[in-house]
Amino acid sequence: MPDETFDLAGCLERVRRRDQAAARELVEHLHPLVIRIVRAHLPRRVAEEDLSQEIFLKMFTRIEQYKGSVPFSHWVSRIAVTTCIDQLRAQKRRPEFRWADLSESEAGVLDSVLTSEHDVAPGAALAASELVHKLLDQLKPEDQLVVQLLDLEQKSIAEISEITGWKQSLVKVRAFRARRKLKKLFEELKRMEKS
Amino acid sequence: MNTPDPRWERLAVAARQVRDGRDTAAPPGFATRVAAHAFARAEQPFSALFARFSWRALGFAALLAVVSVAANYSVISAFFSSSDDDSASIEIVNEIVNPS
Repeated sequence: MPDETFDLAGCLERVRRRDQAAARELVEHLHPLVIRIVRAHLPRRVAEEDLSQEIFLKMFTRIEQYKGSVPFSHWVSRIAVTTCIDQLRAQKRRPEFRWADLSESEAGVLDSVLTSEHDVAPGAALAASELVHKLLDQLKPEDQLVVQLLDLEQKSIAEISEITGWKQSLVKVRAFRARRKLKKLFEELKRMEKS
Repeated sequence: MNTPDPRWERLAVAARQVRDGRDTAAPPGFATRVAAHAFARAEQPFSALFARFSWRALGFAALLAVVSVAANYSVISAFFSSSDDDSASIEIVNEIVNPS
């Protein structure tokens, strides 16, 4: 958790005066926030350290533009989110989701989800998590992000709006679109399983 | 907003049970490296940028000059080889000015 006693305003002031020690303190203070966003939305084949470094460098480049209209952590979150989305867009889209690409445990979880009304067995949580990320990969980067924040991190629409900087109506539209796509994907998977 | 598909919801509930236990603190040296990099980037003086781009522009201009001389080599060589002959020079100039 970020240090509650950290003097953010003072640190920002020192960073603006080009104090390198203050810049180090700021990176250390914000690292937990940034790395959580990076880990949740890390594109394939990208190292988390490289991506978080890119986010911090963008933050320092734009720091003069920060006017304090939103909390600094939200402002940094938005930089992190847009950087992750840019990276997700830049990578080639994964080929279509296929049963054959799933591990045995993932296929088992998917089969049980498609054919029964019961909850996933507690021991299969890891496989379910892997499966969720493979399904999310089928969505557009922005939709992926909204579903991840909404359904996995259980953030509210207002919180997602603050983190991403998108209007609440846009967040709802993206969630609607993503859920519709996921529903369609489940229908296709069920059909493929039967055939 | 639509409600999530029940199948997705069951998967999401299970996926939420997986806790990420990885350390979130910055790795050793990361903050120092990022801070140094950020300030080094910002401290690049304007004159250095100007020097970098002006050298490129100079190279490009030199290349253009060489290409234009090569393309008009026959006209230029004819002009210099008969520079003592005023009427020929006038003819060449005429040819350049009025190509038709």
